[in-house]
This record gives sequence, structure tokens and C-alpha cells, in this order.
Amino acid sequence: MEDNSPAALQNSFNVEEVSQIIKEGIESSIGTSQYQQNKVNQWTSAIIEHCLNHLTRLEKPFKYVVNCVIMQKNGAGLHTASSCFWDSQTDGSCTIKWESKTMHAIVNVFALAI
Amino acid sequence: MEIQYVYTKKRAEFGRQCIFSDRPAELLVDIAPNPDALKEFVERDPVDRGVQVVQEMSEHDVNTERFETDSHGLNHAEGGWPKDVNAQEVEQVIRFRKKVEKDEMYISTVQTLGGQMEHCIKQNNAIDIYQDYFSDVEIQASEEPPSAKTINVFKDPYKDRGVAHISWYPDGPTKLAIAYCNTDFQRAPKDTSTESYVWDVINPNSPEMTLKPVSPLVCLEYNPKDAHILVGGCYNGQVAYWDCRKGSQPIETSEVSTGHRDPVWKVIWNQSKTGTECFSVSTDGQVLWWDIRKFAEPIEKLYLDATKKQDASQAQGAYVLEYEPTIPTKFMAGSEQGAIFSCNRKGKTDADKIVAVYPGHIGPVYALQRNPQFPKIFMSVGDWTTRIWSEDIKENAIMWTKYHQSGLTDGCWSTVRPAVFFTSKTDGTLDVWDLLFKQNDPTLTVQVSDEPLQSLRLQEHGRLMACGSQGGVATIVELSEGFYAQNRNERNLVNTIFERETRREKILEARHREMKLKEKKGGGGDDEEEHGEEQGEDLMAKAEQDFFAAIENEKKLRERRKEERENAMREAESAGNEEEQGGEEERQNLERVEEGGEEEADNSPNEEQAAAAAAPAEEKGETEGNEKA
Repeated sequence: MEDNSPAALQNSFNVEEVSQIIKEGIESSIGTSQYQQNKVNQWTSAIIEHCLNHLTRLEKPFKYVVNCVIMQKNGAGLHTASSCFWDSQTDGSCTIKWESKTMHAIVNVFALAI
Repeated sequence: MEIQYVYTKKRAEFGRQCIFSDRPAELLVDIAPNPDALKEFVERDPVDRGVQVVQEMSEHDVNTERFETDSHGLNHAEGGWPKDVNAQEVEQVIRFRKKVEKDEMYISTVQTLGGQMEHCIKQNNAIDIYQDYFSDVEIQASEEPPSAKTINVFKDPYKDRGVAHISWYPDGPTKLAIAYCNTDFQRAPKDTSTESYVWDVINPNSPEMTLKPVSPLVCLEYNPKDAHILVGGCYNGQVAYWDCRKGSQPIETSEVSTGHRDPVWKVIWNQSKTGTECFSVSTDGQVLWWDIRKFAEPIEKLYLDATKKQDASQAQGAYVLEYEPTIPTKFMAGSEQGAIFSCNRKGKTDADKIVAVYPGHIGPVYALQRNPQFPKIFMSVGDWTTRIWSEDIKENAIMWTKYHQSGLTDGCWSTVRPAVFFTSKTDGTLDVWDLLFKQNDPTLTVQVSDEPLQSLRLQEHGRLMACGSQGGVATIVELSEGFYAQNRNERNLVNTIFERETRREKILEARHREMKLKEKKGGGGDDEEEHGEEQGEDLMAKAEQDFFAAIENEKKLRERRKEERENAMREAESAGNEEEQGGEEERQNLERVEEGGEEEADNSPNEEQAAAAAAPAEEKGETEGNEKA
């Protein structure tokens, strides 16, 4: 149940907006690259920084937690899940899964109202 | 990551109670294992990984406490007086002495010291530690076989050029100046470089300095007085000089109009007060003197005219010049036609300027040099032989080598040993001749290069020889010790050889003169008519007979002499120094016997020879007198 008043809308978690931000972040850092073990660190940091920067620019009263996983496509399987105990009216999360020929990237953003 | 942001929150929402609700586990990602993806990858085995284990070190300095030291000399005659006793003051000295002598330890110490001292002194006296051992043993000539070793090779960066001339640095064997030029007549390709180089002996990869004349240099010489100045003669007839300190361009070049009209084959520095005079020779027949300060015009000019009339049209072009700084006014030039001119620069009339013309060689004379230790003897290289001349004998060389298979291109004496000289040949070999060892063949032949050798130059110390080939490659060869170690008796022995040969030639000259006189006499007897004519004819016939008989005798004598000489040399060589002295005497005796034989041969065929015989007898009396003296 979300508030539909303009103020509340402004202050609630907007999934589309956030997923857009995340997608941009991933594309810009690893959009065209092949998996490289020595660059993975850089990539994850880049993605996370990009996401956080843009999220904070929204100037919404949220605490953000951004999680990024990059996995090489080696034939292994990966399974992650999350569970939250929060105020579902004010808080929200967004997960983006992205893949290229050589790797998977999964970015989670959790936004908790202050 | 510095993030700062401003957010707004409604006041009503402050302190709002948090209404928790559980959100069950939500699957975020499920990626099934895909073994196909694994096939894209290859296991890397082994994996190179660098690991460094370095010992950890730390640097630490420590300063010890200053320890003061002081230097004191001890005057042993005086003894080491303590500080407060002034050795000059007699009283203080006496007082101190008395005090010390009373000390008990003093006496016992002195006694033990005395014993030790005695031991040392006795040791010293037993052997003379400064004795010079082996002072009376003479240094034997090294027994190693003669050899030569190539030390370094310098290659001309450009092709098609040969080494035309080499000059060593006067202050030691560290540098060489080499002139490169394609000397084939008009065959040098148009864009041949004109550069010549100064090389450092240690670095054969690149020249130390480049000299850039207007036209390629055919000869190049360092000024023996000032090692920075070089003078070079060009292929187009100009002469230029450089200063090493000032760069590659010549400081000044002579004018084309006043200089030579053919390549300047040789330039030599003159002995002068200012050290700036040089003279050059070329195949246009002129010898020109220059002062390098004023290159516009030569100071003096001389034509190498054999008719002694300074006639330019009769002048013979020359390839080489010879100059000995200790005889400053005389010089020699070897011409293209094979003649050797001995000239005096200070001759008053034109005829005086050319003192003598030696017959020389069949072809051009390529090298000419006086023996550094016997200036009256000089050698010339040309056609296929090397000839040794004595200044006094103008008709023929006193010694010569046999005709070689390949032409000789250059030669020089050794600066250290008067009996050694070197020649280079068109088959690329360097011959080293030692007159004391073998006179018929070179003592050592070294194949320096596959191409013909064009020039050679011995360094002043006599150890290093630079040879330049037609392909532009200059090789430095080091000679074995035997060639530059001086032998004590060498001067005397070589002197004897040269004197003997000179004497032989003199006798032959005298003989020839006689023959000519006889022929003239024989022909001039036609003045008297009647029996005068008969006598004339008789005389002619007899003169002819004499002539041929004398020639036969000469031939036999020469052969005999050569054999005897070789035997004597071999004996002398194998017997050693002392016996060589005896060998010398033997040789002198042999000569006396030979001369006696000559006299007999002379007198026997002809009685009319009485008057003529008196003449040679007189001559022989002279020469014998010289011998005894």
C-alpha cells in the first residue's frame, strides 16, 4: 500500500527509477568487457559507486545498501535469495540481473527509510 | 567516495513508529550450472607466478668516538725524546739521560735490546739486500718465432673507397687518422662520400671525428709538433688543414688555381720554427711548399725535372715524398716514371735544386723512406721489388729483393730496429723483412686481408702496424717482441752489411766507368792512320773481349759472394752473439780475398791493361785503406 499523495510519492521507493540507475551503472562499467579476474575489483567498485552516487542524487530520505556480485560463466550454478524485515510501506528493494557472454552480474539495492 | 546529499522529510513523519512486516525470502537469482560454459575454458597448468622473497635489510650508521691520532717522525740518530725535553738543549738532554740511566729497568732493557740488534745487524751484513742480480747476464733475444696478431679492424662505413693513407697520432698509439679515397682513375661513383675519419684505437665501431674536405683526401698527416693539427691533400689537387678541436670542416683550403692540378699524393710537415710549414707533391710534377697560415698561394715551387732545368714540360709526376726532420733542407721524391729525385730545397741555382736522380724502379715508386738510424741509406718500393739505396751510389741500388708474385704497394722501415722493414702487397699480405736474419725472403708474411693492401704505417714505438686495404678496411697488427726489441749488436751488424754492399757497388761503378773509358779509348785510337787504324781495330776487339770477360767474372763473383754471404749469415745466426763477431772478421777476410781475386782476374786477360790496372789498383788501395781505418 503506497501513499499516492505527491509528497509521499516523492518520498517512497521508486523501483523503475532505481532499476534504471542500476542498469546504467552496469552497462557503463562492464557493458562490453570480457571477464578478467584482475579487473573484477575495479568493476564492482565502479558499479557500486555509480549506483550510490545516482541514488543519493535523488535526494530521498533513504539509507541505501548496494550489493554487487560478478560471476564468471564457468559452468557453475548460482542461487541467491533475500528476505527482509522492514516497513513495507516505506522501504523497498530492487534487484537487477545482467549477463554477457562471459559473466553474470547481479546488483541488489535495498533502500530503508530514515 | 564522498557522498553528501540533502534530503527532505516531512516533520509529521519524524519519529514515526516503524511498522515492521516480514518479507519472505525472495529468490534473487537462480543460475543453473552449465557445464558447456566450462568447455570455453582451458585449465592452465603450470601457472607462472612470480614470488619474491627478499631479505629485509635495514641501514644503520654508527659513529664511534673520535680517536685522535698524531703523526710523529722519529729521528733515529737522536732517539725519541719525550715531549718536554728539547733535543737541542744540551742541559735538558744530559739531565734526562742521567735520570733514565739511573732507572734499573733501563740497564736490563738495553741489554736485551742489544742482543736483538746484534742479530739484526748480522743478518743485514750476511746478505747484500740491494745486490743487483743478473746484471752481467745479457738479455737474450727472445726465442719465440716471429709472429703478428691482428688487434683491431676499422671499416669504412661507405663502400667503394680504399684506405689511401694512414697517420698515427704523434702523442702515443691512441688514435689514427685515415684518409679514404677511391683512387681508380675516374671510376669513383658520383656520390662517393668525401669524408675521412679519425679513429680511436679502442673503439672500432664509430670514428672519433669526421673530416669533411671538399674532395676526398688522398693523404693525411698529423703535425708532429702540434697534435691537434692535421693537413690533408685532396683528390682534386687542393690541400687543406684541420684543427681537431674546431670541428669537421677544414680551417683553410688552398685555391684550385694555385695548387696542384692532379691528386696530391703526399703531404709532409716541414721542420720549421713556426711548425706551420708543409710541402706536397703530386703527379703533375710539382713540389709545392705551403704555410698553413696562408693557404692562398704556395711559398715555393719546384719541378721534378730530370734534366735539371726546372722545365715544367719535362717534369715527372711523383707519388711519394721523403723527408727527414733532422736533415731539414733535403728531401726526396719518387716519381711515376720510377726515378728517385734527391733534392735540396735551398739550392741556389735551378740545377742545384735537384741534386741527383737515381734510376729507381721500372714502374712508379710507391714508397720512399730513409732508414731512421742510418740516414744515408734509404729504401724504395715499386714495381715488384724493394730496393735499398745508399745516397752516395747513384747508379744502382746496393741491395734489392727478388721479384715478387704480386706488386708492392707501400713500405717503411722499422722505427726501432734498423735491420727491419715492412712491405705491403696487392695480394693482401704484409711482409716483414729482417736483414740480419734472412736476406732473400721476408722473415714473416702475414695475410692481413683478402683485398690488396694499399697503405701501411708503423707507429712510432715500433709495435703496432696499421694496414689499409682497397676495400676501406684498416687493420691494426701487433708485432711479436722480436721485431721491436733492440739488439745490442744490431747497429754494428747492420752497419757492416750496408757498408759492404755500398763498397761492392762502388767497385762496380768504378769498373763500369773504366769500361766506358776503355771503349772510348778503343774507339778514339782511329786518329792515327796506317798502323794507327790497325791498332784501333785491335784495341776495339780487345776492349770487347775484356768487356765480356769482365762481365763473366762479375757474374761468377756475385754468385760466389751471395753464397758466401748466406753461409756466413747462417753460421753467424746459429752460433750466437760472440761468434758473430768472429763471423764479421771472417767476412772481412773473405772480402779481402775476393778483392785480391779481382785484381788477378783483371791483370790476367790483358797486358795492355797496365795503365788501366794501375787505376783500379789505386782504387782498391783506397778501399783497403778505408777498411783498415
